[in-house]
Amino acid sequence: MRERMAKLWRAVTWTWSPESERESSEAIVRNLWLHWFPAKITRAAMSWNYSMWLGTASASLFLILTITGVMLMFFYVPSTERAYGSIKDLEFAVSFGRILRNQHRWAAEGMVAIVFLHMARVFFTGAYRGQRAANWVVGVLLLLLTLLLSFTGYLLPWDQLAFWAVTVGTNIAREAPLVGGTISFLLLGGNQIDQQTLLRFYVLHVFFLPLLLWILFAYHMWRVRKDGGLAAVEPIRAERTMRPKEMPATKSYSMFGLTPGTSVQVMSSTDLEEQDLVTSSPNLTRRVMLVFLAVQNATLLAAILFNAPLEEAANAAVTPNPAKAPWYFVWLQELVASTTVRIGPFTISGGFLGGILLPGFLLMVLAVWPWLDRSPKNAEGRWFAKTRRNQNAVFAAAIVAIVILIIIGVFLRGPYWKIYLPGTPRPEMPKVF
Amino acid sequence: MSEPIHMKQPAVADPERRRILRLLGKGSVVAAFIAQLGAAARAFYPNILYEPPTRFKLKRPGEYPPGFTFDPAHRLFVVREQDDFHVISAICTHLGCTVQWRGAEFDCPCHGSRFKPDGQVIGGPAPRPLAWFDTELSPDGFLEVDSAIDVKPGFRLAAKGKA
Repeated sequence: MRERMAKLWRAVTWTWSPESERESSEAIVRNLWLHWFPAKITRAAMSWNYSMWLGTASASLFLILTITGVMLMFFYVPSTERAYGSIKDLEFAVSFGRILRNQHRWAAEGMVAIVFLHMARVFFTGAYRGQRAANWVVGVLLLLLTLLLSFTGYLLPWDQLAFWAVTVGTNIAREAPLVGGTISFLLLGGNQIDQQTLLRFYVLHVFFLPLLLWILFAYHMWRVRKDGGLAAVEPIRAERTMRPKEMPATKSYSMFGLTPGTSVQVMSSTDLEEQDLVTSSPNLTRRVMLVFLAVQNATLLAAILFNAPLEEAANAAVTPNPAKAPWYFVWLQELVASTTVRIGPFTISGGFLGGILLPGFLLMVLAVWPWLDRSPKNAEGRWFAKTRRNQNAVFAAAIVAIVILIIIGVFLRGPYWKIYLPGTPRPEMPKVF
Repeated sequence: MSEPIHMKQPAVADPERRRILRLLGKGSVVAAFIAQLGAAARAFYPNILYEPPTRFKLKRPGEYPPGFTFDPAHRLFVVREQDDFHVISAICTHLGCTVQWRGAEFDCPCHGSRFKPDGQVIGGPAPRPLAWFDTELSPDGFLEVDSAIDVKPGFRLAAKGKA
């Protein structure tokens, strides 16, 4: 009896501690969910300080978003008449509906931030070079998809923010030369924002964009492995190639007979050695679960403490004053508001310059950066390498510029998009004119 | 010595004929795929729009007070000077938000564009002046606007006696 109880206790408090390396690697390669991990992973790639696990956090957020998103689909009605009401129902009538929507919202905003930070980490560690360049481009596409998912997502409640964001967004598309009118017409499903518009953005948001993101994410992960793991291993690889392999001290032959010391020194292969590696199970899997747990708890806590924003129901007759985009798009709003150029009789609209040309240019530069990078090979896989100082400065300056625009947009802009310094009174704007 | 058997292909009577047939086979697959894709894409381009007509009636001229009156349903301003009328669009030419009349100028709440009372740009990012819509007096005595037809600034509809 006692023995049976002990056995039961062990079964309940089961912990994974493989008996051998073979058992450990089989736990990875024989498992459907884990086989895309390597059986062994470098200690360097496991470091908290190197990668900060931002990629894992992004993937965790996307998993949470997929699950909460599918849940929300049971309650949301993609109709201009009922969309807003179904969000109100989630807030006030559905048990735990408010937390569900809040978590989806905060995980989405978190994903924009974390994906961006992940990109910054890869940049500052020079981890996008050589063979990894292709995966950097995939990463830029993933960032773009994350932003598109955010945009299509906050349209769905069909509140004032949604309506005016669609208005501004599709008018920016209309500014594109030649094809702009057609793109806008296709996005709206007509000339006006109506039922077709909501349905199109809905299907994009719940099906096409997530599908594309999942496919690209899978490819992104696959490439990480095919390109040799995290770039953190590159300094170690270089070291292993340079350092002579230690040989057992035996007698050695020289031209004049025996000499003391070791034999002819052999340069080791570029392969990583046993001492650099740990088994993925349980080392990697444990950390992945820890990161997921942290992200899950953080978003849930945020969902319990803070309510997702919801403005008044969409009203085509009244534009909110000021009408602000969410924080991660407000820098683009600053750009379109201030980049209209007048040269003599010609005017280039800020919608084109700041809404299409400048962001498009930024994305292009970002995508081709690995081919512009001329820093030496040993700058790869370490934070803030001295030989990368200039390009790190350029990247940091771009981030600072965007953050400044975001701060101006979020905190200083008031009615009629005028600047109001902190402390100065802002005029009260009636809701309806 | 036996001949290697794995690379051996049967002799082809007419290699050119085979090449053309192969090309036809692949081509038809590609063509079918593109046609299918094209048809699917075409479906997204609506043939019928359930949108309100661009030509619509407003109130009778006499119902408008002097000055600027905002019509929220049609997003435009009816301007009355004595018995002369004209209609200015309230849609900002920058990115389509609704401008507001503030006594001396139109201001846009989205990106800060500013327009004179006649729609000319004073400041902000707007690239073009506000549109003036073609306005007529309908036979039964209402202001009738066509928002698809622009008129030059300075247009006036004289409604003397009708107002």
